[in-house]
Order: sequence, then C-alpha cells, then structure tokens
Amino acid sequence: MKKAEQTLIYRLLFIALLLICHQVLNMEEALASTSIGQVNSLQAIIDQLDAGDAIELPPGTYAGPATIDKMVSIRGNSEVTLLNPSGAPAISILSDGVHLANIQIKNNASGDQSPAILVKSHQVTLEDLTIQTSGYGIILRDADQAILQNNTITWFKPEANKPKQKGNGIDLYNSNGTLIKNNHITGVRDAIYLEKSRNARIQGNKLSRTRYGIHCMYIDGSSVIDNEGQYNITGAMVMGVKNVVVSGNVFRRQSQNVHSQGILLYDVQSSSINKNVVEGNRVGIYMEQSSENELSNNAVLRNFIGIQLINSNSNQFHGNEFIANVIEAEAADSQKNEMMRNYWDSFQGLDLNHDGTSEIPYAINPFYQLLVTQTPAYQLFFQSPGMTFLSDMFTNGQEDWSTDSSPLMNADISHTVSTESAKGSADVLAIGLLLLCTAIYTIIYLGVMRE
Amino acid sequence: MNDMLQVARREIKTGFRNPWSYTFLILFCVFSLCLLVINSQSIVQGYSGVTGSMLSLILYLLPLMTLFLGSFSLTAEKEEGSWQLLSTYPIGTLSFIVGKYIGLSIVLLTIVAFGYGLMGVISGLVGMSFASSTYVLFIAFSCGLVLLFLTLALLIGSLSKNRWQALTVSVSIWFFAVIGWQTILISVLNFLPYTWIKPTLVALTFINPAELVRLFVVIKLGGGSILGPEYYQWVEWIQRSSGSWLFIAVCLLWISFSIMVVYWLWERGRSHG
Repeated sequence: MKKAEQTLIYRLLFIALLLICHQVLNMEEALASTSIGQVNSLQAIIDQLDAGDAIELPPGTYAGPATIDKMVSIRGNSEVTLLNPSGAPAISILSDGVHLANIQIKNNASGDQSPAILVKSHQVTLEDLTIQTSGYGIILRDADQAILQNNTITWFKPEANKPKQKGNGIDLYNSNGTLIKNNHITGVRDAIYLEKSRNARIQGNKLSRTRYGIHCMYIDGSSVIDNEGQYNITGAMVMGVKNVVVSGNVFRRQSQNVHSQGILLYDVQSSSINKNVVEGNRVGIYMEQSSENELSNNAVLRNFIGIQLINSNSNQFHGNEFIANVIEAEAADSQKNEMMRNYWDSFQGLDLNHDGTSEIPYAINPFYQLLVTQTPAYQLFFQSPGMTFLSDMFTNGQEDWSTDSSPLMNADISHTVSTESAKGSADVLAIGLLLLCTAIYTIIYLGVMRE
Repeated sequence: MNDMLQVARREIKTGFRNPWSYTFLILFCVFSLCLLVINSQSIVQGYSGVTGSMLSLILYLLPLMTLFLGSFSLTAEKEEGSWQLLSTYPIGTLSFIVGKYIGLSIVLLTIVAFGYGLMGVISGLVGMSFASSTYVLFIAFSCGLVLLFLTLALLIGSLSKNRWQALTVSVSIWFFAVIGWQTILISVLNFLPYTWIKPTLVALTFINPAELVRLFVVIKLGGGSILGPEYYQWVEWIQRSSGSWLFIAVCLLWISFSIMVVYWLWERGRSHG
C-alpha cells in the first residue's frame, strides 16, 4: 500500500517534470522557429503562452503588432526592442491582469495615429516601458484599475510636427481608478489626457514640451499630485470636474505661447488646489467659471500674471504667496471670493496690532482686465507706466473688487528661495567693470583734462 | 566732417563741465543702486515683476534726463549767443546739428554707462544672480531710450526761445509720451471703428519712442506672449535676430528724420538771421 502510494507520487512528479520540459522545449522551439534573421515575431511567442504564464524575453529585436488576449506577464530587459512599422497598435491588450514591463517600443508608422499600446481590459500593469511613438503612446479604453508607472514616452521626431498632428502620451477614456505614476513624457501633444475617467491618481510624473502636460476632463474624485512640468503650453488643464485634488505640482517656464498657463482651471467645482509652485509662466493660475474651490499655500513666482480670475465665484484663497509677478492678480466678474492671509509682495501693508497680517486690505484692480476683454488690442499696454497710472485712478465700484481682507506682511522664506539660479554674475561683473572704466576715462579725458 | 567733430568735442567738454550732468549722473547711480537693493533677494532674469518694475522706473527717469540736457544745450546756444557767433564762420548747419547730437549722446551714454557699470560691478561683487543677457538688454534698452529721446530734445531745443520754455515743453512731452500716452490713446481710439483700433495702435506705437523701446525689450525678455494673440506674429518676428535689425533700422530712421527736421529749422533760422 505504502509502496503503491510512493510509486504514484513518483509517477506524478515524473509527469510534471515531463510537462515542464515539454513546455520549455516548446517555448524554445517557438523562439527558434519565429526568429526571422534578427527579428522575432512577438505574436508567435504570445500564442505559445497559456493564461497565467510569466515570461522574460531574451534580449533581441522583436516585431509587432501583437495582441495579448490572455492573462500573461511579459518582461523584457533593457535590450529588448519591439519595432512596429505597421499601422496597427504595437501591442493590444484585451485580457484582464496583463503585466508588461521593461520593453523598448518603437512605434514609427509614419503619419499614423495608432498607439504603441492599446489597453481594453482591466487591472493591467505597464511599467518601465520606453516608448518612442509617432502616434499615441498608451491608450486606455474602458480599462479600469490600470497601473502605469516609470514609463518614458517621447515623440519620434523631436519638434517635427505641430501639436495637432501628434498623439497624446497617455490617453484615457472611460477608465476609472487608474494610477499613473513617475512617468517621463516629452514632445507629444498632451502628455496625460484623461476623459470621463474617475478616481485617477496622477503622481510624480515629469512632463515637458507638450501642449498640455496634464489634460483632465470629467474626472471627478481624481488627484493630480507632485507632478513636474516645464516648457509646455499649459502645465495642467483641469476642466469640468468636481472633488479633485491638485497638490504639490511644479510648473515652470510655460510662457512661450500666447495661451500659456501654469495651471488652468475651467469649470472646476469643490476642488482643492494646494501647495503647487508655478514659476515663470505667462499666467500662474488661471481660473474661469469655477466655484467653491479652495486654493491654499501655493507659491506663485515670477509669472507675467500671477493669478487670473474670470467669472469665478465663492472660492477660498489663503496662505498663497505672490512674489515677483509682473502683475500679481487680475479679477473680473468674480464675486464672493474669500481671500485671507495671502502674501502679495508689491503690496505695502500696515500691521498695527502685530499679528502678522495687514489691517489695510489688498484689492485687485480689475481695470486692465476689463479693458482688454473689451478690446484685446490694448494688451499692448500691459504694465506700461501709463497703464499703471490709469489703473490707479480707476476706483469705481471698489466694494465689488476681489479683496484680501488680511494680507500677510511677510512671506514664508522657504518658498521665496527659488530653485532656479541665474548664471552670469561673473559676466555682469566684467561688463560692468568695462563700462565703468570707459565712462570714467571718457569723463576725465574728454571732459576734465585741458588740451 | 572735421567741423562736426569739433562741434562734438566742444559739446562733450561743455557737457562734462555742466553741473547738471553730474546731478543726473548721481541721480541715475543712486536710482540704479536702489533698484539693486530692492531686488537683492530676487533673480533678475527674463520678464518678471523685478525686471518689469526696473523697466518702468528707467522709463520714468531716462527720458526726462535726456530731454532736459538735450534741449537746454540747444537753447543755451541761442541764449548765450554762441550760435550767432558760429553762424558767421563757414560751418555747415548740418555739421553743427549732427555734431551736437553726437556730443550730447556721448555725454548721456557715458552717464548711463557709469550707472550700469556701477550696478554691474556691485551686483557682481555681492554675488547677486543677475543674468548677463538681461543686463545687456537693459543697457541696450537705456541707450535706445536716450538716443531716441535726444532727437526729441533737439527738436524741443530748436523750437524753444529759452531754457524756461524748453523746460516746460520737455516736461509736457515727457508726460505725454511716458504717462499720459495710454490714457489719451484709449480715449481717442474708442471713437474709431473697432477694426481700426489695432492698426492705428501699432502705427502710433512707432511714433512714441518710449513705447517702441519698452515693447521691444519686453518681447526680447521673453514676455511677448502676454501681449496676446493679436500681436502674435509681431512678437514671433521680433524675437528672431531679424527683429533686432528691424528695431535698429526703425531707430536709425527715427533719428535721421528728426535730425533732418532740426536741420531744416536751424537752416531757416540762419538764413532769416
């Protein structure tokens, strides 16, 4: 009895071993048979896999397009490259729970809008992918709970095309609960585009030289946290949302385009925008038709216009710092906004009771804003001495202006120290010295000395 | 040519012996150092609140200084009778006017150079972050202002009988060009059909040296996008290097045209005795 049992176990073990061997042989066969010269067909490898399999691709070059229709995990290493010259997506994921990692994808079908990766299933994980695309990067359609992290997405031909002809880096539609984390995206149309996708979390991404760094429409309950953007047309464009958190983001140098902004909020309700840094943009924070939001502890530095409010009512602003902006704030048709304890560097307050806030309120003069809304041609007068003079004379209806009732007297130093550093102090010294010497020489030689 | 150089030399000599020049030199130095102190915490780079306020303050001071020194120099020629004396010599009126212009611009540019030199040396020694491109642009901005307003100053000096008249006219021209310009334009342009506003505004901007130079610097500092989509093409064009050449060409045109007008005025005065 005992012996029979032992024999059975041995036999089972033997069969298992055989099966494994068979599988391995099969796979090697598949790998061997599909290699056409240097390029292997990825589809052939996937076809050999069973649901639940995990595979690491040997280094080499593979060819797309491929469709994954079973739950598998495919991992490459830094030497795995997938080429896709066809018009179809390089990889289409149709099964739930697929895991793709560490593959370089070159999606270079010219003049085509197809994505490098198309996901149409739930719980998909895409990580450490390096995607070069001449269409879209990653597209998610009706795909919930995906995780996209540590991916790099770049445009195939840098600066070759206009934004309209490019595709988006990461593009979501009707895909809820997605985590988009630590991705680097540059050169595409919109780096991260979300539409009708609730409860997304967009965190720690680096976005540059795109149209919109983050473009959100109808994404209630999502959060945009700790992202960094520069040289985009607009850093974060948030539109048509409720209960969103935009926090800890840094947007710099978005000033090239006539429509550039750091953070653009349009039709945003009941959301929290806090601890963001917007520096050197055309407009730091632009807000239109938005209400019931809380903007707090944002650092608004060196923008042409710090904050611009249009038709935005009943928002709360506190603890924000406005430093070295050409114009700190513009507000038109915006009422019932509660502003308290913000720091405005050009405002000279008066603190009688030493509580750190000024007893004189800071009111935002709407004159210029109203003028250019009526006649955009007058934007030529932006912050000219004459315009400042004229604005100061305009005090009509002052009680309706957006007003900070208790502006802070001093800024939080940690925010004012910019992370940027201007180079060229030595150059300035040299030029200065040259000028000074020339001037003194001219005065003495041509003016003072007698012939 | 030789006459012109002689006139210029004489102008420089009297310019640097004129206490007014040193008053303005000190004013400009104090002023640029104050700017430096105010901005010592900030980075001076690109178009920001810091450079914006520097622009405005320079726009207030330099044109006024130029108009005073320039127009007084010409009225002094009339009041002190040295022009009457010079007209008896075989010296061309054009040589006289151009010599005056060159001499005065050297005096004024020396004042500007001294002020900026001091500013650059001190900011360099203190270790302030002052981007060299911004610094150079500001120097160019100031020189442009001086050279353009100097032609206006010569015009004022030619038309005025004495210093007091020149002073009054200078202040009103300064107020009109620097402070009242926007107010006047907005009120007048509102009578025009809407589509005419922008072209008229652009054309008038070429007439006002203060606006012309200010806009050029704002665009070169990278602030062109704030002017809005209306001026997108202008901005894009001026940002390129060809934009600088265009600007220089416009300035030269401005200067030569005004000098011709001044020449005509003096030539007429000379022949009419």
